[in-house]
Amino acid sequence: MGDTESFLHLARPLGPAPVGAQPSTAPLSVVIQPQAVFSILDHSLRRPADQDRVIGTLLGTRTEDGTEVEIRNCYAVPHTETAEQVEVDMDYQKQMLALHLRANPREVLVGWYATSSELNTFSALIQNFYSQQGDGTFPHPAVHLTVSTVPGKDIEARTYISAPIGVTAERAADSCLFIPVPHELKYGEAEKSGLELISGAKDREDRSQGILTDIEALERAVQHVLDMLERVSNYVNNVLDEEATPSSALGQFLMNALSLAPKVDPQDIERDFNNHIQDVLVVSYLANTIRTQIDLSNRLATAALTMGTGDPLGGAAGDGERKEGGGGRGRGGRGRGGGNRGDRNNNRDRESEQ
Amino acid sequence: MADTLKDSPLRAVQVEALVVMKIIKASAGAFPTTATGSLVGMDVNGTLQITNSFPFPTVDVPATDGHQDSASNLAAAAPRAKANTAYQNEMIKFLREVNVDANNVGWYTSTNMGNFINLNTIENQFFYQKEMNERTVALVHDVSRSSQGSLSFRAFRLSPSFMAAYKESKFTTEALQKSGLRYQDILIELPLTIHNSHLLTSLLHQLPSEAPKEELAFPPTLAALQADPNTPQPPLYPNFDSLDLSIDPFLEKTCDLLLESIENHHTELNNHQYYQRSLGREQAKITAWQQKRKAENAARVAAKQTPLPEDEWQRLFKLPQEPSRLEVLLNSRQVEQYARQVDGFTASVSAKMFAVKSNLLPGE
Repeated sequence: MGDTESFLHLARPLGPAPVGAQPSTAPLSVVIQPQAVFSILDHSLRRPADQDRVIGTLLGTRTEDGTEVEIRNCYAVPHTETAEQVEVDMDYQKQMLALHLRANPREVLVGWYATSSELNTFSALIQNFYSQQGDGTFPHPAVHLTVSTVPGKDIEARTYISAPIGVTAERAADSCLFIPVPHELKYGEAEKSGLELISGAKDREDRSQGILTDIEALERAVQHVLDMLERVSNYVNNVLDEEATPSSALGQFLMNALSLAPKVDPQDIERDFNNHIQDVLVVSYLANTIRTQIDLSNRLATAALTMGTGDPLGGAAGDGERKEGGGGRGRGGRGRGGGNRGDRNNNRDRESEQ
Repeated sequence: MADTLKDSPLRAVQVEALVVMKIIKASAGAFPTTATGSLVGMDVNGTLQITNSFPFPTVDVPATDGHQDSASNLAAAAPRAKANTAYQNEMIKFLREVNVDANNVGWYTSTNMGNFINLNTIENQFFYQKEMNERTVALVHDVSRSSQGSLSFRAFRLSPSFMAAYKESKFTTEALQKSGLRYQDILIELPLTIHNSHLLTSLLHQLPSEAPKEELAFPPTLAALQADPNTPQPPLYPNFDSLDLSIDPFLEKTCDLLLESIENHHTELNNHQYYQRSLGREQAKITAWQQKRKAENAARVAAKQTPLPEDEWQRLFKLPQEPSRLEVLLNSRQVEQYARQVDGFTASVSAKMFAVKSNLLPGE
């Protein structure tokens, strides 16, 4: 997303600074989290039919020295734009900000976004509104994120900060200098599995994707690794047959990778493997037994009336209890041969039964 | 809107990618406490489309008490708190102005190793299905399981028979026998799909995915290869995290939770036995009293006196209340859930183990 461009960013221009404070000119970098971009794209889809672009507020965190801004969240702000004037619903912006801050107290206002790459007088006006004193991001610069959403073209994100420029006093409000700053799209470990599933749907006609089970995900990953191994081994075979150009660097890399395989005694593996697989199978077996026991216990507790005993409730609960205990003992006996985990479970099992 | 469609039950849930990301973010941020929030969207011919979500305000727990449980409990109870209903309504009012589907369609919660079937979840969902809108769902996102490779998102509703039973809060053995409610019938899981918008599809095609297919130039040295910026990043899809061998901690955790549930079950059964015993004692006492009164009356009749009333025992003795079986039901459902989870874990771990074995012992 546009981060292939390289930046030579020595210092940023001076913004308006509070009296007495040392204004910072350190370079600024922006990190964008995927859910913010997702949200912007969603907003862009829901824009009014007669509007080319929509805007919204960016929320996130800022490092203490203000050199790194992380955009973590955003929300839409209604605005109307005509050839002559622009109108932003300030009241809405203020109240929505308050609502968001109640749910995410750690996030602060960092800037605003627009869903078109164009920068114009209105952009400057809005930018100045967001970076003003009081409600704005002052003394830090407001970050402006543009995400182009032209159909048929790549989605391109750019980030800017601004500096005031010397023009006549009456035009100071609607003019400023936008300076591009580098940005990165970053996702954390937690989001990875989500993004995986979401991008699994990207080549499908209906643009939707069901939830995968663990085993399906495993199958896909294994399939993918096999394909890649196939490709590498093909290449190596071609080199051996003198059909492909050899590369010593690739050879070294492959050697390094292969030497990572541990050297272990086959007997050890056999033994460890058997022990572990038994543990796992015992755990699985126990889990299924417990499930059956619980089912049985529940059925016995409620199916008593049909048995026609004099005291239905007492008979039922006692019965369930007895069965439960018996099952526990049975499991203990069988599980002992299994392995460490099975044994431990059984011990605890018996403890809990007593 | 929902009233006109009331006849057709909800068949499926379709979640927008944006909602998935928002919930993941909120849940990961709050981990290990529970994160809850509201879902908005609309109902299209029996498919509930969830198009946006927002978290509930966090409650500041005084840092001094240091109890994580209290914060967790507050968050878990948040969906039915009065202040949050107001927050939700206000938020939806604002979202309507920017053309977001402004119908509340449920709530979400984060969980840890499938540990979510408890009274809080039931009460929240009951509150939503009863007070807000009948056609609402609970989305459950399992943070721990998602970190292990494949995303875990599930949608649940309370079954109509459970709703009826919970409304009357009758969970005695007799009531359960009459209604035939089983623990498997408490929650209905709805099939869930994730949906991307066109713009998002376009964005995803720009993110790193597969290794480049075309021939690349050969690197001059090993160092150059490792420093090459064009070396493809690990793709988002498929996720190689699911190849990770160390799932034993997950198995162990689930087993621990399973044992905990069994202990709970045991306690509940003990409660019931205690009730049985005291009921039996009381009944024996009553029978003894009745016989004594009968003999007395016979003596009085013989002595030409008026017999004493025989139904006085209802005032003298009090039968013990039967403990609610709801806890047992929920616990059983939870045990079932854990057991299935263990099944799933063992299935994939044994597959991986066989793979490792044949990798380390070639030619066997």
